[in-house]
Parts: sequence; C-alpha cells; structure tokens
Amino acid sequence: MSSFLSQILAEAAEQARTDGSTTIEAHHLLLALAHDGAAAGLDHATIRAALDREFTHSLAAAGVHLTNDLPPATPTDTTPHLGATAKAAIERAVTAAHHIRDTTPAHLLLGILQTPAGTVPRALHLAGINRDTLTAAVRRETNP
Amino acid sequence: MSVEITGDVADRLAAVGALRRLADRLEDTTVEEAMRTGWTWPQVAEALAVTRQAVYKKHAQRLIAAGVSLRRRTG
Repeated sequence: MSSFLSQILAEAAEQARTDGSTTIEAHHLLLALAHDGAAAGLDHATIRAALDREFTHSLAAAGVHLTNDLPPATPTDTTPHLGATAKAAIERAVTAAHHIRDTTPAHLLLGILQTPAGTVPRALHLAGINRDTLTAAVRRETNP
Repeated sequence: MSVEITGDVADRLAAVGALRRLADRLEDTTVEEAMRTGWTWPQVAEALAVTRQAVYKKHAQRLIAAGVSLRRRTG
C-alpha cells in the first residue's frame, strides 16, 4: 500500500471513530482528504455540514425529525474496518492510477466522487456542489 | 409518533441507512448511560432483546476504556 493511502486510512479511521461508526465509509475518506487539505478546495467544515444535512434530510424521508442533538457517546476504541463504500472508492482510485503505489489524493478523490449513489453524492447535491464539474476538474488533475 | 414515508426510492433507501446510523448512535449513547447509572449487562441485554454476549461484545471494551464501572449482576 502507498504511504499516502496508509496515512489517509488512519485519518479516515479517526473520522469514523469520531462519527461513532465501526466502519470507514466513502464519506470518512472524503473527510480525511479535506482534513489534509486535499479535497479540491472543499474544507472539512463544509463537508461535515453537508453530511449532517444529508443525514437530517434522509431521516425526514422516513418521517423522523431530530429536534435536538443526541448526547455524545464514547467513541469505540477499536479500529474501524473498511466498509463497502470506502473499498469501492479505493478500488476505483487504484484502477485510475493503474497501480496502488501510484495512487495520489486526486485519484482517491476521483474514486470517492464516482460513488454512484448514497451518502456522498446526496450530501454534495444538497450542499449545491456540482459533482460532475468537480469530477472533471479532479480528473484533469490526475491526467495533466 | 406518526411516521410519514415520503420521497423517491433514492430518498427512502438513504432513509434506511440514516435510520440504522441513528439506531446505532442511540444504542451507543443509551447503553453507556445505562451502564453509568448502574444497569447490569443482563438488564441491558433484556431491554435490547439481544443476548448478554452480544451486548457485552459490542460495548464492553469501549466502556471499560472510558472508565465506566461495569456491574455484572444485580444485588
């Protein structure tokens, strides 16, 4: 594994733990990239707010409206494992880079942005971020 | 609570994921609160309708690390 991927996975695990999640998902990879200033100008707070909004919006579709924040739980002290959406994003990144050792933050961001459905595309859409435009810009970065 | 399911299929699929996350979060916070206020593992397991082993495996390590004093049985 490239040192970049090891480092970003460690940060994504921290993001997942903070989130109270036992799995690292694609949105935790995105938060980790933003934490390292490698998310095409999207900052951590913007992504966090977009994810929170997506959560509220999705709960509302089931008729659930949270009127107050849940009290914080002590995060798990075990290392979260890779979830399905993060695995898929990493596979797309490695495919785009042709080899795991050549995988850069831009390749990983591309893999995350290409998540076909679910939390990441919904959060970006709700935040008014055009995923196609962003994907095209990142793709140019991976193919200079 | 009345529950009105709205939105398209994508919204409803996302709602399933969000409800699971909410349930997990609520379980984490409430099990911690229960154990901090003197509930036992068998009581919490009974309340959640899961086995003692399941609830212990899921939460014990986190709560021990957090310094929560855990009671194994009542009395």
